[in-house]
Amino acid sequence: MSFKSAVITFPGSNCDRDALCYLKDLTKGEVHNIWHEETSLPKVDLVILPGGFSFGDYLRSGAMASKSKIIDEVVKHANDNRYLLGICNGFQILTEIGLLEGALIRNKKLKFLGKNCFIKKKFKNNFNLSIKDNQILQIPVAHNEGNFYCDAETLNLLKNNEQIAFEYCKGEFSNTEENINGSIEAIAGITNKKKNVLGMMPHPERAYSDFHQSQDGRLIIESLIS
Amino acid sequence: MNEELILQHGLTLDEFEVIKKYLNRDLSIEELGIFSAMWNEHCCYKTSKKWLKKLPTDNEIVIQGPGENAGVIDLQDNDGIAFKIESHNHPSYIEPFNGSATGVGGILRDIFTMGARPIATLDSIRFGLIETEKTKYLLNGVVHGIGHYGNCIGIPNIGGECEFESTYDFNNLVNAMAVGHVQKDKIFYSKPKSIGGLIVYIGSKTGKDGIHGASMASDVFSEEDEDKKRPSVQVGDPFMEKLLMEGCLELMFSGLIESMQDMGAAGITSSSVEMASKGNVGVYINLDKVPLRQPLSAYEILLSESQERMLAVIDKKNNHKVREILQKWQIDYEVIGEITDTKRVVFESNNKKVVDLPVEIIVDDAPEYDREFYIPRKRKNKDFDFSKIKLEDMIINLLTNLNYLDKSWVFDQYDSTVMGDTIREPGQSSGIVKIHGTQKVIGASTDCNPLYIRINPYEGMKYTVAESYRNLVACNINPLAITNNLNFASPLDPNIMGELVLSIHGLKTAAVKFNTPIVSGNVSLYNQTNEIPIKPTPVIGMVGSNMDLNKINTNKFCEIGNKILILGKQLTKNCSPYLLQDQKIAFNICEFNDLEVLDLDFEKKIANCVLELSDLKCIMSCNDISRGGIFSALLKMQYKDMGFRVKVPDPIDLFCEYSAGYVTEIRSKDFEKVTSFLTKKGAEYLEIGEIIKEGIEINSKKFDYFDIMNKYRNDFEKIIS
Repeated sequence: MSFKSAVITFPGSNCDRDALCYLKDLTKGEVHNIWHEETSLPKVDLVILPGGFSFGDYLRSGAMASKSKIIDEVVKHANDNRYLLGICNGFQILTEIGLLEGALIRNKKLKFLGKNCFIKKKFKNNFNLSIKDNQILQIPVAHNEGNFYCDAETLNLLKNNEQIAFEYCKGEFSNTEENINGSIEAIAGITNKKKNVLGMMPHPERAYSDFHQSQDGRLIIESLIS
Repeated sequence: MNEELILQHGLTLDEFEVIKKYLNRDLSIEELGIFSAMWNEHCCYKTSKKWLKKLPTDNEIVIQGPGENAGVIDLQDNDGIAFKIESHNHPSYIEPFNGSATGVGGILRDIFTMGARPIATLDSIRFGLIETEKTKYLLNGVVHGIGHYGNCIGIPNIGGECEFESTYDFNNLVNAMAVGHVQKDKIFYSKPKSIGGLIVYIGSKTGKDGIHGASMASDVFSEEDEDKKRPSVQVGDPFMEKLLMEGCLELMFSGLIESMQDMGAAGITSSSVEMASKGNVGVYINLDKVPLRQPLSAYEILLSESQERMLAVIDKKNNHKVREILQKWQIDYEVIGEITDTKRVVFESNNKKVVDLPVEIIVDDAPEYDREFYIPRKRKNKDFDFSKIKLEDMIINLLTNLNYLDKSWVFDQYDSTVMGDTIREPGQSSGIVKIHGTQKVIGASTDCNPLYIRINPYEGMKYTVAESYRNLVACNINPLAITNNLNFASPLDPNIMGELVLSIHGLKTAAVKFNTPIVSGNVSLYNQTNEIPIKPTPVIGMVGSNMDLNKINTNKFCEIGNKILILGKQLTKNCSPYLLQDQKIAFNICEFNDLEVLDLDFEKKIANCVLELSDLKCIMSCNDISRGGIFSALLKMQYKDMGFRVKVPDPIDLFCEYSAGYVTEIRSKDFEKVTSFLTKKGAEYLEIGEIIKEGIEINSKKFDYFDIMNKYRNDFEKIIS
């Protein structure tokens, strides 16, 4: 059975096309692009909330998008136990909706960060099944507010429920940082308790094609399809 | 009309007399405002036009040369590339964040106005010495502004320059370049098609920001002006621009638009006048219909430079459909006038004609000056004393000079991988992006050698063009065309005018030889504050392509053990200006020797060798040699903890500048093939060493690899904070 997926576009999304290509090229299945004012969502296996600056990120990153018409359908999709992936601004939107814990605050150096980062998986889930333990993935980040924060109690829950999907780590060579944006426990991506919703700051959709600097981003879609 | 008012509007009394004589009546204040906006250097090139006309602007691949919002070149099939560079120097000095942000916004609008989707930006930014708090503030603000705008709208930033020199202490430069992809059968021009077409206003509401911006940009600065002129800086909203871009591209793609103009410098005035002039028609606009942010007078509406606004012409029958699409993108839209057959520009406000002028007097009769210029005196060459200089000190001199350090601090604040098509990110010799959905790639680079040009404007400009050319060739990108941004001080000084004239001449000579026409550009004069003029800084942006993304070279070392081969010709120590300046051997501009004449045929010959060898996959990595010589080129090539072991006759050679200089990495197994190829072509080469693991070794002297690399990579941030 072929894998079906959809990407939501908000005004100000700027990685929606990238996410569509990522899904089309890797899933080979049906891919839908859904405008934020739609009130229904086709039945698909995976929905991506893409990166960008939805509504200019003028209130808090992701805050306005979390009140869009389509969001009720996105929540229903997640409650149906189907996959939901928020990348960058999508991760921020997921925390604003409340589907994921914690919040994403300004990077520790208070500067936008657009560079390659290195991550590895922390706890196993369906999004990282194809990734080996201790395998280092190289994936670009591009964010201003990617510094994951939550209180101690929440952090304990995230650990106890094994909800931490990815953490930042050093790369193979010198001059790579351990925790690029100052996230608590170097968290780069978390899931909900049921582990069907993942939010991550790095952009796997910019690391999959042969001409990209790395193809490690493929592993996430490969994990879901396998 | 009193003299003071005329002079305040940046017009000379002579210019005013010409207008009055033509019209045979007095002008309204709104009309004076229009001439102020249209007859300044920024809009009508009155000083440079005579010389710019001499530039080559056409060849078999040029679809659109200068004169439109951007130049367009042919990239085979239905693909075209639109690109342009533009300055935002003065605004960025007064208000670095908004000044630079709106610089990016403006150049992106120039690109999508042509129907092209922007696919890359580059920035050439220059600041004064970092020792002053002011420079730190400007650097932080400018980089933040460029990043803020480009990141939000989602166009990858793929390169540019960032340099520091005392000449820019009171007048920093911000030149932003954008590249877009357009379908050749869907290019849009500013020329309206039919009489009776509706003139529509699309985008942000008009406010007081930026009134008189264009005339400010054509004026000399004094430091006290800074606070007074701040209200002339526009404020940007990249989210609005993103919506505007998507909305406009959707309208164009749906065939609902006849023509389009960006309301950039001089706002609604300039865009409507140009529309009328290009189409040889008239325009009628009712200013009462213009969407306003706050109550404004007719005069203010005409001269506002509020950002994120477009003027388009549509057929009456499409009015409803256009409104529908723009509503989806939540963009303001208003019909404000129509195209007439009068060949006059008419603006109405409160049922009164406030402007009624023939297009001819505004555009065709705009002043054109043949300003006096001096040709610099020939320099007397002398020998410098290199005897006391030690290799260790030379390395330290480079590693404590911001101009040589890794600029990741700058580039990391830009999103360079959004859109998913980036192949080479900033910090390499040229940025490269793929044309979406094809195997074709576009490379782009910006360059200028202000010191060279001050020493010898004609030869210096040839070197500048050659450097961009090499930047592209090093990546196996075929250079195709040029956009230029001529930043100079006041042309009223015949010495500076001489630099302008001669560097345009040098640009012409190199562009003709390389067959890289100039298809778009911008002139920024009066770059001086408190009567301190900047060094001549004619920046060029060069664009090239390769039809096969698998053939492009990396600038980074590939494999330990590979040989390092140098191509090109070393300039003598005495004639390597940056070596002399940066190694603290010459200080005063009068001390430098003349530049060696750059042999453009030789540049072409070596470039063709690099391109051919790259196609044969014999070059593993390649970087061009520029400021800082071979040593600096090798530092830039280090990757994954790979270093180099080299032997040269004299260590100073490693720091000399080059013509047609390239550092290439060659596998041992290809070495003979490569050298015999070069010998056959009559191209000199020099084998200097090999790539090693975690080491830097020069003439058997070992240096601490991690210490040097750590300084190279991390000291920029330390020095500027």
